[in-house]
Amino acid sequence: MSVKITGNNRRLPTARSQTINRGKSIQFTFNGKTYTAYEGDTIASALAASGVTTFSRSFKYHRRRGLLCAAGNCPNCLVHAGDEPNVRSCVTPVSEGLKVRSQNAWPSLERDVMSLTQLVDRFLPAGFYYKAFMRPRALWPYYEEILRHAAGLGEVVPATKPGEFDKVYKHADVAVVGGGPAGLRAALAAANQGANVMLLDSEPALGGHLRYATHDIGGQPAYQYAAALAAEVAAHPRIDVMTNTTAFGCYKDLWLGAVSGDRLIKLRARALVVAAGAYEIPPVFENNDLPGVMLGSAAQRLVNLWGVRPGTTAVVVSANARGLHLARELEQAGITIAAVAELRDQPEAGLITAINAPALTGAAIVRANGSRHVESIVVRAGGQERKIACDLLALSTGYLPANELMLQAGGKVAWDEALHEFLPSSVPPGIFVAGEAAGAHTLADIEREGELAGIEAALKARYGDADAQARRDTLAAQTADARSRRVAWSAAEADNAAGKRDFACYCEDVTRKDIQQSIDEGYSSIELLKRYSTVSMGPCQGKMCNTALVQLCAAHTGQTVRDTGTTTARPPVRPVTMGALGGRLMEPVRLSPMHEWHVARGAKMMNAGLWKRPEHYGDPVAEVRAVREGVALIDISTLGKIHLHGPDVPVLLERLYTNRWRKLDVGRVRYGIMVNNEGVVMDDGVTAHLSDNFYYMTATSGGAAAVYEWIESWLQTGWLLNVHALDATELRAAMNLTGPFARQVLAKVTDGVDLSNEAFPYMHAREATVAGAPALLLRVGFTGELGYEIHVPAGYGLCVWEALMDAGREFGILPFGVEAQRVLRLEKGHIIVGQDTDGLTNPLEAGLDGLVKLDKDDFIGKTSLVLAGERAVEKRLVGFTMPDGTLPEEGNQIVRPGKGPLGLEIIGRITSTRYSPTLKQVIGLCWLPAALAEPGHDFTVRVRGELKTGRVAALPFYDPDETCLRA
Amino acid sequence: MLLLTCPNCGERNVAEFRFGGEAVKRPAPEDVNRATWADYLYLRRNTNGMQREWWYHTPCGCWFVAERHTRTQDVSHTAFWSPEG
Repeated sequence: MSVKITGNNRRLPTARSQTINRGKSIQFTFNGKTYTAYEGDTIASALAASGVTTFSRSFKYHRRRGLLCAAGNCPNCLVHAGDEPNVRSCVTPVSEGLKVRSQNAWPSLERDVMSLTQLVDRFLPAGFYYKAFMRPRALWPYYEEILRHAAGLGEVVPATKPGEFDKVYKHADVAVVGGGPAGLRAALAAANQGANVMLLDSEPALGGHLRYATHDIGGQPAYQYAAALAAEVAAHPRIDVMTNTTAFGCYKDLWLGAVSGDRLIKLRARALVVAAGAYEIPPVFENNDLPGVMLGSAAQRLVNLWGVRPGTTAVVVSANARGLHLARELEQAGITIAAVAELRDQPEAGLITAINAPALTGAAIVRANGSRHVESIVVRAGGQERKIACDLLALSTGYLPANELMLQAGGKVAWDEALHEFLPSSVPPGIFVAGEAAGAHTLADIEREGELAGIEAALKARYGDADAQARRDTLAAQTADARSRRVAWSAAEADNAAGKRDFACYCEDVTRKDIQQSIDEGYSSIELLKRYSTVSMGPCQGKMCNTALVQLCAAHTGQTVRDTGTTTARPPVRPVTMGALGGRLMEPVRLSPMHEWHVARGAKMMNAGLWKRPEHYGDPVAEVRAVREGVALIDISTLGKIHLHGPDVPVLLERLYTNRWRKLDVGRVRYGIMVNNEGVVMDDGVTAHLSDNFYYMTATSGGAAAVYEWIESWLQTGWLLNVHALDATELRAAMNLTGPFARQVLAKVTDGVDLSNEAFPYMHAREATVAGAPALLLRVGFTGELGYEIHVPAGYGLCVWEALMDAGREFGILPFGVEAQRVLRLEKGHIIVGQDTDGLTNPLEAGLDGLVKLDKDDFIGKTSLVLAGERAVEKRLVGFTMPDGTLPEEGNQIVRPGKGPLGLEIIGRITSTRYSPTLKQVIGLCWLPAALAEPGHDFTVRVRGELKTGRVAALPFYDPDETCLRA
Repeated sequence: MLLLTCPNCGERNVAEFRFGGEAVKRPAPEDVNRATWADYLYLRRNTNGMQREWWYHTPCGCWFVAERHTRTQDVSHTAFWSPEG
């Protein structure tokens, strides 16, 4: 006996809650075939209305799967829609021209060759990943390839155009998650106490489960009752309603992650009401995954939201009042009820008699039959097994309260024997659970708990008065005694069932037998059982299967469900697209005041941390030559610049730098290096003594923020020095005018200072007026030529820069970039901290030992360097040349014959290298063992796979007598 | 995301802060030997419970001390450093 699946048009004459607009048709395709939908349809509702019953193929056995929850919770209807994989078609609105195709089926959804795996399922037992494909290990890449193909969940299309994803930050006094009767009442109660409330619901409209129910509430159908309540909420000035918005994560201090379409919402709340309702969950019995077997709420949603007839002849399996309501509603929609299989012995008599169909009380489900679709069900009642033909099996046998957010925040749940549900047993402060999530089932209880939670949340957010507290106490006293009782499906019987294909986990295709076998193999603790069997690790994240898993585990181990416990809830509550999590790239960019000038002159810009800097202006070699032979200007606004005020600055400098600072006269500049507590070089730079109690420090571009933070840490946490530090990095523009003609150029635009070598020698600082701007001049020499760093208030930067370029025109001035500067400094043998040094480099090894004064009273890192100085230096940073002219790459390894790949041992590396146009040879810096670090020593370096000879050279390469520098 | 109270600015998201590690006292230079220095550099209590630690609020440049529970992440107290501890 079987029922034939009828016709293509399964649309009912009316959809009770009018979600769809029959006046507007939409065309879309599924697997190449065109379907018609109505506005308001989801992909799945439109397909179901056209008679589609198979939506996907299952993960392991490639069994047909149809709609199960129709509410976005289960994996059964995942499709590829447009350019997006793994779309939950039951909650995704259909749009004109949308191309939808099935996933995980080859060559087609109707004929999937992988479904043959069902025939060889003994080779795919629980834990088959860990068993079948382990040996030989070398073959794993092949196994993996096959498994990926066989198990693939969706497919990323690389050609997809990147989407636009937004991020928004929100704040609320009270966040309410869930817009059902509990959440609506909570939002109203909290808002009426004065709190600003944000109400989030993942459905397109408020109302929760009442939105798709038609039973009578005070003289009107449930959905109308809900709509009236929702309208009151939406009109409230202090309630911000966000529908189509899924709260997926609850993090520390009530920081909520939610997603609304392509928009990620980060919401900070003072109090949170979790009123997310409960997920209806399926019982475990043989062939419980056949298309046509669906949750009662799914059938109800199809009928009432979208006017879709989910079948013609139905059996309703019920274990609660909702199942009986459902049977009545299906009947009213014109569906024949073949039978109601009521699992309870004594259901609500009034509800049973309202249904014009035989009711079997105290029933148990034995199995469903059918190949492509459910055709009949076998139930046992009164000691007899009965087979009943049907093409719809609606299951209303239990719920999983939706407490994920509360659990993520550190709450706990415990098994309630009376309700057969996991209910909150410990709720973190600031969170209030209400409605079905807390175990309430009658509407009166749900609404009362909602109001109570709303008041509690408002009080937590510091709203509400004595009246509010009194109302809270009244409500709290009422709630205690009004829980409705119901019994869900019992796993104890299922433990002894004979079925082979009774699925506990739809996502991962795990059967009851698989779970039992895993337990028999020793994985009896619930967390291990989950990982080994992979139950609850699929896209539904345990919504459909977790309760069954725990119950089956308890039944098979003989423990109580309470003792068995449950698995850990982790974000996200529902799948979130990576795009939404990643969001738009919001990298801040730092620009020098002269940025536009560089861009207009065709500078090739490079990233330096968050800064954009000119790498060169087209010809770095010409730029080097201009510095050595003429004059050139570089933008160094990225340098860290720190103002240090106060009488204790010399003490501070003495402790920050490794060299001596006590006696630095006004007008003098000194170079220093900073090391950390471990004696590792952390930054270098110059500091100028500008006037009494005022010093001006520069730090490297990359180290600026860290140096300022470092200084503040010592000033604020223990040294009690009378110093004020100010990070002036962005307050000042800076440029370095350098080259033999730098003095002539500067003199043309400078007033108030004698620039002669006698009056303003090397390593001195002066304040002056440059091109009308108040300027600080530092005569320093990173490039090795006569040079002046000119620091001016940022607003003057471009004007001073242009004035200098004008003044330098007669001397052939060029702007130069970072590339030329790297060559110039390398010719001088100056190190770049972080490039030539690393996280272990101490200054004794880096050739900076002359700057380390261990006889000073104290400085940061002194003790470490004293200890380091007691050991022989093992490696040194030295200069080198390449006699044959090969240009190595930075990072190339210095090797010698020994144990290692290719018979080579790595003994050092190249940190910096360039061709020097000045010296007409390749120069660089490298790390070598101390014994090989004497000038003239040859070493072997591996360059692009070939072994080349380098030669240690004395530093600096250029102008060792500093005649150019001090000219 | 954790909320931290900067003594200057009030409650802010932890993303605005940088963690500075367990609050340890730098030994006076005259008391230093290999062992005390190694302890200062490398030895941390790694408490499972309330811990005194440094935090830096990047926007305002403030270093302060927080009492944080390393497991529950509850922050009971934040304050400017004072020599009294």
